Amino acid sequence: MSDVSNDAQMREAIGGLEVPLQRALAARFIENVLSLTEDERIKRVLKIAANADADEDQLSSALRSAKAAALDAHARCGTDGEWNDQAGYFVARAAEAAVAPRVRSYGRGPAWQAALNCRMARTAQATETDEDAHGSESQAQYRILNDYLNS
Amino acid sequence: MSAPSIEKGINFIREQIDAEVASFFSSCVHCGICAEACLFYAQTGEPKYTPINKVEPMRRIWEQEFTLWGKLKGSLGMANKVTEKDFAEWETLVYDGCSLCGRCSLVCPVGNDISGMIRKIREGFAAAGYAPEGLVGATTRAIEIGSPMGVRLPAVQAQIGHLEKNTGLTAPLDQQGAEYMVLLSSMEIMNFPEYLEAVARIMHQAGKSWTISSKAFEATNSGIQIGVSDLARELVQRVVDAAEDLGVKTVISPECGHAFTAIRFEGPNLIGRPFKFKVQHILEVLDDLRSQGLLKTEGMEDARLTFHDPCQLVRKGGVVEEPRNLLNMVASNFVEMTDHGAMNWCCSAGGGVSANERADELKFTAFKQKKSQLDELQVDTLVTACANCRIMLEEGLEENEMDIPVVGLTEMLAEHLVEDRPKGDA
Amino acid sequence: MSSEALLAWARGPGFDWALAIFVLGMLLRLFEVLSLGRKPDLAEGRGSGVQGGIKTVFTRFWPRLTVFRREPLRIINGYVFHIGFLAVLFLYAPHIELFEEVLGVSWPALSTGVIDALSVITIASLILALAMRLTSPVLRLISNSGDYLVWLLTLLPVLTGFLAFHHMLLPYTTMLAIHILSVELLMVIAPFTKLTHMFSFVLSRWYQGYRAGHRGVES
Repeated sequence: MSDVSNDAQMREAIGGLEVPLQRALAARFIENVLSLTEDERIKRVLKIAANADADEDQLSSALRSAKAAALDAHARCGTDGEWNDQAGYFVARAAEAAVAPRVRSYGRGPAWQAALNCRMARTAQATETDEDAHGSESQAQYRILNDYLNS
Repeated sequence: MSAPSIEKGINFIREQIDAEVASFFSSCVHCGICAEACLFYAQTGEPKYTPINKVEPMRRIWEQEFTLWGKLKGSLGMANKVTEKDFAEWETLVYDGCSLCGRCSLVCPVGNDISGMIRKIREGFAAAGYAPEGLVGATTRAIEIGSPMGVRLPAVQAQIGHLEKNTGLTAPLDQQGAEYMVLLSSMEIMNFPEYLEAVARIMHQAGKSWTISSKAFEATNSGIQIGVSDLARELVQRVVDAAEDLGVKTVISPECGHAFTAIRFEGPNLIGRPFKFKVQHILEVLDDLRSQGLLKTEGMEDARLTFHDPCQLVRKGGVVEEPRNLLNMVASNFVEMTDHGAMNWCCSAGGGVSANERADELKFTAFKQKKSQLDELQVDTLVTACANCRIMLEEGLEENEMDIPVVGLTEMLAEHLVEDRPKGDA
Repeated sequence: MSSEALLAWARGPGFDWALAIFVLGMLLRLFEVLSLGRKPDLAEGRGSGVQGGIKTVFTRFWPRLTVFRREPLRIINGYVFHIGFLAVLFLYAPHIELFEEVLGVSWPALSTGVIDALSVITIASLILALAMRLTSPVLRLISNSGDYLVWLLTLLPVLTGFLAFHHMLLPYTTMLAIHILSVELLMVIAPFTKLTHMFSFVLSRWYQGYRAGHRGVES
């Protein structure tokens, strides 16, 4: 299989993976942006996401941690928005996506949803500086995906 | 804005008293039924949150200055004048303990618009310097920066960039003659970027032209929440100028509560003239598209779900059927709360409450009203259409250890769009 | 003053004065409200303000289920003493005769037996209303001296009328004079209390209904 180098390919490649593998892949995407958050809970969530044998209870409790982390990090209505903190919020949301159950039948799978939130996290952090963070994070994700698929 | 003072506060309150307000105070018989509609009273049991009690300072000013009996009492030195102490005591009733949800106005037997009066009395409190710190900050930022949360154009552009890379679609800035001009709330820009993406995809499928103004993208009107009409006016004027400059047909208010009533209903009255464009909430636009056959979706959610009616959208905005029409397109197991539609209960964070940190504890207490509705219904998913409600619902559910995911309606619809559903999703 | 003279005065000059003050007082209150004016709603309409206004004047007579569930007794009791009081006032033959003198129109009466029963129910209902006002934390907070004064002013006519009819407590002529004087007292004080609601409720319901109707929202 040729290497993934754009989003359409990325989505197709991810789509072919079973859910537990998607969670593990999501964990890798999130590891790449872990430096954008200081919330220790995220690391624990990633451990569970990466474990293909994680049971429902573990995923549930991981989800709760991730949600709590997201709520703690989000910008309060009307407060002075701190984009660095927002980066942490998006990392937490990526973590949520990685361990969330598929209650809704439509919508993005864990890996793709996590990937998008990771990119948003990078964008958030770079907002003050104007770099094309999104593009570079996408490239990093293609690399991660390729490594994962080839391993 | 000149310096605040008690005298100014009283003057501002006096200015708010018109025939409507006078008729309300003339008709109030102290039946106390308004308290039974108020979530703050319902959950705290504290009589001070009785809605009509929240405007007692205004009632005193009305009686003393606009009734014969009151003027007589005043000339005899028997008037109970409003003082600084009253502003201090009532501040938390007027701001922390009221989300301007409007339920009280709907149950008053004599037809008093109590919620409208609370909105008016805030003008006096703000002018007297008795408004919550968080709101003052938000409004200052809104005026000076263009967003209550300090969101500047580059942030919006970054969101647009993100959108372009994910979907291949673009969000055109400052497009002359576009049919729709989209506003965004800071909360959405910062916390729910999927909203913009959903809008882009839906507009693309429907073949509608749209744009965002680089000079006026902010939907939130903190001036309304704090109760300073001058500032509210300035915020509206920015949008009006941009929309009329670009010659758009309709301005779309996003999934945010107060933003809608602020621009749709208060806006023209603030600037003193009708708009040269229409204003619609995104759900109204989507429902229009649905009825024109331009909104094509596939698949149904079979999770048991319900809709939380944002107060400003449904009760005060009259957009009651649209969310239901739209939800029924993609949900096969949609159940209604007992008090639903225009009589639904507030999420407890509207009207500036969520921007007021001092009100946190009270807010979470009041949230138990929403909790009781959800406990009764036992749903798997909660859908809503306001970014502020959404965060509050998430926070409230987390605080009460309830595991119900919350999702925005526009986002949910976009997930089911027929074309361009991303291939290969599990 | 003899009881006959008192009664004559109550029926004569007393009534004329009371009526004049009542009418002028209420007109003044309405003027105080209307003269403040209100700004037109410049927002684009979605419906008819007039229809909304008229509709709301009537729909507010019926309570919303959500609050009825929480205070059924208070709400039901409100209906009881209003309906009772108005029925006794307007559907008792001697009263109708009085209205005929003043307004030139008359209408059918209820039997005195029914009126008698309604009077008792109204008095009981008013006593219950007072009990609730004194024991409910919400009502205690928002009530003022005016509420208690109005309660007394409203109770006295019904009570003294009942006593007069049954020739109880005092000689008939005296009791009747007191009854009429209590009514006149109510009439004279009413325009300066919350009893203005008997007319202004139409305005308040109309105003909210009109705005809501124009905007196409619930009211």
